[in-house]
Amino acid sequence: MDSFLRVQSVSKIFNRGEAGESFGLKDINLQINKGEFIVISGPSGSGKTTLLNLIGGLDSISSGKIIFNGIDISSLNETELSDLRRDKIGFVFQAYNLISLFSARENIEYVMKLRGFSQNECDMRVDEVARKLGIVKLLDKLPANLSGGEQQRVAVARAVASKPELILADEPTANLDSRSALELMDMMERLNREEGITVIFSSHDPMVIDKAKRSIILKDGHSLIDSF
Amino acid sequence: MEGFPSYKQLKTQSFPYLQLAFKTVRKERGRSSITILLTALSTAMLIFITALMDGEHQTLLKSSVELYSGYINIKHNKFRDEPSIEYLIRDSDMMVDKLKNRDDIQAVSQRFDTFVLFSTDSRSVGGMLSGIQPESEKMTSKLKLSLLKGKYLQADDKDSLYIGSELAKLLKVDIGDRVSFIGTGSDYSFCADNLTVKGIFQTGLFEFDSQSAFLNKSYFDKVFLTESLATEIVLLPKNIDMADKASHSIQHTLSEELSSESWRESMKSLVKAMELDAIFGYITVGILFIVILFVILIYTFLTLFARIKEIGVLRAVGTSQREIFAMLFAESITLSFIGVVVGVLIGGGLALYFNINPIEFGAEFEEQFKQYGFINTAIPTDFNISNIFRDGLIIFALSIGSTIYPIIKVNSYRPVEAIHHV
Repeated sequence: MDSFLRVQSVSKIFNRGEAGESFGLKDINLQINKGEFIVISGPSGSGKTTLLNLIGGLDSISSGKIIFNGIDISSLNETELSDLRRDKIGFVFQAYNLISLFSARENIEYVMKLRGFSQNECDMRVDEVARKLGIVKLLDKLPANLSGGEQQRVAVARAVASKPELILADEPTANLDSRSALELMDMMERLNREEGITVIFSSHDPMVIDKAKRSIILKDGHSLIDSF
Repeated sequence: MEGFPSYKQLKTQSFPYLQLAFKTVRKERGRSSITILLTALSTAMLIFITALMDGEHQTLLKSSVELYSGYINIKHNKFRDEPSIEYLIRDSDMMVDKLKNRDDIQAVSQRFDTFVLFSTDSRSVGGMLSGIQPESEKMTSKLKLSLLKGKYLQADDKDSLYIGSELAKLLKVDIGDRVSFIGTGSDYSFCADNLTVKGIFQTGLFEFDSQSAFLNKSYFDKVFLTESLATEIVLLPKNIDMADKASHSIQHTLSEELSSESWRESMKSLVKAMELDAIFGYITVGILFIVILFVILIYTFLTLFARIKEIGVLRAVGTSQREIFAMLFAESITLSFIGVVVGVLIGGGLALYFNINPIEFGAEFEEQFKQYGFINTAIPTDFNISNIFRDGLIIFALSIGSTIYPIIKVNSYRPVEAIHHV
C-alpha cells in the first residue's frame, strides 16, 4: 500500500487567546496508506470529529502539518481546499446532510457535476453506485421521504460517486439502528475493497469499530492506540 | 469570476449550484413570495410616488402657465420691469403673422393689457382690461375653458365684456348688464366706453378672477388706439418640452428692444417653487430608498442565516465560495427581477389609472390648493414609460446591491462553522 496521508504533530486549539481556550487535538501523528479502512474511535469530545474536519480541510490547523498526496493542505487557500474536497475527498456526515430540495439522484450527481462529468456519465455512475448500495428504487425520492438508513446510504453514494481517493465519514452510523448500521458498514467496506477508496470513519460503537481493519483511539485530543 | 459560467461552459456543462438556485426559488415558495412581494411593493411605491410628484408639478405648471401667461411670451425689454405704454411691441400684427409660420410654433396670440376703472350704477373698481384675439387666445390660454356663465368672446364682438367672476361680484353685474370704464389710450388720451357683460369666467385663482376682464382686441384697438400695438405676444410651441429651445430660437429673429422668454425664465418663482418641492420629493424618495435597502438587507440576512448549514454542506462537498456566491446571486437576481416586473406592472398600472382618473382631493382642500396655485383639486399622476423603467431599474439595482453584503457575510464562514451553525 502507498502512503498518501501524513498527519504531523497536528494540534487544534479552540478559542485561542480567549477565556475558553482549549485543546481539541494535541500533537497528533498519523500515517495512513492508500486503500486503508480505518476507524477513529474514542469517547465524546475526544477529538474524532475535529481530526476528520482537519484532514478534510473543513477547519484550520493550529499547528503541525497534514500532507495529502504530497500536498500540505494547511498551506492551501479556500479555493484550493474546495477543489481538493471536490476532486479527492468524499464526506459522509452523521446527520446525512443531503440537499433537501434535490432528489436522491440529484444529490448523488451533485459533486460529479461540480467536477464536470457529463449527464450521461453521471447517469451511468449513479446507476452503478445505486445498484451497489441497493438504493435504485430510492433515486427519485426527496430526502424527506427517506428513512435515516436510506438517507445515509444516499449520502454514502454521494461521497463515492465521483470516485474520490478518500472518504471521511463522521459517525455515519450514529443515527441508525444496529441492523442499518451493520449494513452500511458492510457497504462501505465493500466500496473500499472494490473501488480502492481509502475510508476513514469515526465511531464509538464497538460493533462498528470491529469492522475496521485499523483502529485509532483518541482520548482528550491525544492518539492513544494505533492498532492494525 | 470562476463561479459564473461562460457561454461556452453553459453549452457544454451543467452547473448543479445554479440548478439548486433555481430550484430554491421555485420550491421555497414562502421565502420567494415574501422577497418578490417586498421588491414588488417597493417598486410599485416608488413608481407611484414619482408619478404623483411629477403629476403634481405638471398640474401646477399647467395651472400657472397654460391658464394665461403661456409657455413663451415676447415683450419689450423694459416693459417687463416697468409696464408702460412707452414700451410696447410695435407692428405686432406683422410679427404675429411671421411667428405663425414657424415650424416649432402651434399658436400665436397678441394682447394689450391696461389698467382701467370699472364702474356700474353703484360701484367702481380698479382692474385690468385686456384686448385679446378670441380665436387664437383659445389655443394659448385656458380663458375659454374657464367660462362660468354666458358666452366666450368672438372675433366680431364689439362692446362685449368677458369678466372674472370675483370682479363681477364686486361690480354686482351679471350677464347682459352694462359696465362702463375709464382708462388711458396709447396717445395718453382718456378713453371711456360702455360695455355689456357677455360672459363670466372663473379660473379658481382669486386674484386673477377679481381683477381681469377681456375685450375683443379689434374693438379694443379702436377705443384705445392700439392698432398693431401689443403689450405682449404669447406663443404655444408645438412641443411644450422644447419651449426653452423655441424661445431662444425666436430671440434671434427679434429686434434688440424685444425679448422672448420661456415660462422657465418668466416665471422664475414658480420654477423655484417646483425645484424646492422636487428637492423635498427627492428627500422623501431617498428616505424611501434607505428603508427599502434596509428591509431587503435585513430580510436577506435572515433568510441566508437560516441557510448557513446548507451552505456549509455545499462547501464541504467541494462547492467553492465563488460558486456559492454565484448560486445566491442567481437567486437574488431571479427574485429581484420577478419582483420588479410585478412592481412595474402594479405601479405602472396605478400611474396609468390615476393619469386617466385624476386623484380627487375633495372640496375641503380647495382653499389650500388655490394658495399653492392649483385651479382644481383633482391631480392626475404622470404616466411616463421612461420614468417607470428608470424606477424599476433603481429598485432592481438596490435589491441586488442589498443582497451582496449578506451573501459575502454568510460565505465567509469556514465550512465547519457553517455546518454546525444553529
